[in-house]
Amino acid sequence: MSTSHAPAGLEPGSFRDPESRVFYSGDEVFRALSPDGLSDFEALEASGLLDGERVVRTERADGAAVAEGLLVHKPAAVLRHERIPFVSYPYEWTFSMLKDAALLQLDLLLAALDHDMVLKDSTPYNVQFKGARPTFVDVGSFERMREGEPWVGYRQFCMLYLYPLLLQSAKGVPFHPWLRGSIDGITPPQMRRLMSFRDRFRKGVFTNVFLHARLEERYADRPQQVKDEVRRVFKKELFVANVRKMRKLVERLDWSPPEGVWTAYGERNSYTDDDARRKDEFVREVAKGRDWKLVWDIGCNNGRYSRIAAEGAKTVIAVDADQGPVELLYRDLRDEGNEQILPLTMNLADPSPGLGWRGLERRSMPDRGKPDLVLALALVHHVAISANVPVKEFIDWLRSLGSALVIEFPTREDPMVKKLLAPKRDGLHPDYELDFFERTLNDAFEVERSERLESGTRVLYHARPKS
Amino acid sequence: MTTVLAYLDPGSGSMILQIIAGGLAAVAVTAKLYWNRLLRFLRIKKDEPETEADTARSTDAA
Repeated sequence: MSTSHAPAGLEPGSFRDPESRVFYSGDEVFRALSPDGLSDFEALEASGLLDGERVVRTERADGAAVAEGLLVHKPAAVLRHERIPFVSYPYEWTFSMLKDAALLQLDLLLAALDHDMVLKDSTPYNVQFKGARPTFVDVGSFERMREGEPWVGYRQFCMLYLYPLLLQSAKGVPFHPWLRGSIDGITPPQMRRLMSFRDRFRKGVFTNVFLHARLEERYADRPQQVKDEVRRVFKKELFVANVRKMRKLVERLDWSPPEGVWTAYGERNSYTDDDARRKDEFVREVAKGRDWKLVWDIGCNNGRYSRIAAEGAKTVIAVDADQGPVELLYRDLRDEGNEQILPLTMNLADPSPGLGWRGLERRSMPDRGKPDLVLALALVHHVAISANVPVKEFIDWLRSLGSALVIEFPTREDPMVKKLLAPKRDGLHPDYELDFFERTLNDAFEVERSERLESGTRVLYHARPKS
Repeated sequence: MTTVLAYLDPGSGSMILQIIAGGLAAVAVTAKLYWNRLLRFLRIKKDEPETEADTARSTDAA
């Protein structure tokens, strides 16, 4: 294998595991393996676990150029991975997405145990979504099992999967700020303090939260002693029993959006009025006008326009600040086996920042792949009026993405705009006027086409960025 | 390859918990097995092969 000075962009989120490291070269994704990492990979290949769709498509790429200093020792092998169209993080997933990722993690672990292998960690950052299909991407996580080894990733599984899911399922508290606030998740003692006395009687809570936190506090200062003792008594059967039990527990966890979201989700799917029909056609015409690689539908709601955009695009990211409709959209897309539309929940006025070591391990959305088309339908009034972002700021941000744009402007006479303005003092948001909006849009974009919908309170624009 | 070494700290308390929880599960499976044998011996329960579902349910009960 050659070690040249070929451009090798290191994946800044892949350094924790010393046995393997991800890097990019051109459009391709590679993984360098240490000698131990290679032995584990060979065992994994032989197990057949890589066949099928649960694990990212991977092949040997010996001969690929590797930069110096990628791992401590000279890499023993290089793998090439299939590229995931758009990277997303657990704090952008809905409840069912995190749950499905957790089940995938556990199923792979159980399958690995059948072959005397394990997954060395349990982080949801090892799962990525291809549309609505979860895919395990960290091939380096599989390793051969060691005698007397307990489930090393159990604590991490609790912190990044079980507790966040429990928090939302049992308490109705969305897990997103907790996962975004801490790259390692919620610790057992923290989770114990979040649970009430009554919660002890919920399935799995006493053991995985209360007892876990208690034991953690009691044995924190005796790691060597505990390790030796565990190695002496631990058996694979215990490992398997624990993972099976965890799977059953996760399977039972449930969360559903409030009733109103279901109703609205269904209604919006059956638009019949003329405005909606013309809006559909407007979006469809733009979508089919070119082969778009990556479309962002921001403020996607029930995904109606994401689906239309998907008619002419390779990948669509459907984002909404409200988790409810995105959860229902995910369930539908999952049932359809859709691998094209990726539903995510994120507040545009408070978007995912760079996080982790050097603020680079997890990246902001534009850093993960800029779109070539953005749909901003029924959104600007929410951003400008509810989030108090000046109209010009919003347009400038859209311009910074460098992509074509389909944007809808609801005028001040629009019922929804009236509702948003109602609690505010008269005369606020002077920039929220059709004239001002059009001037601002024209400064940054070349408007190719616009259309005022029948009702007269909504105007659609298709624009491309001015160079 | 003989030591329990991972780049991730498994957590001392977390390891002990697995012994307790896994142990309880194992005890439950064994208990269920003997209980069924006893019932069969006393002819309270008909002879039938242990199904996978039985074992799974008893594991869950732990």
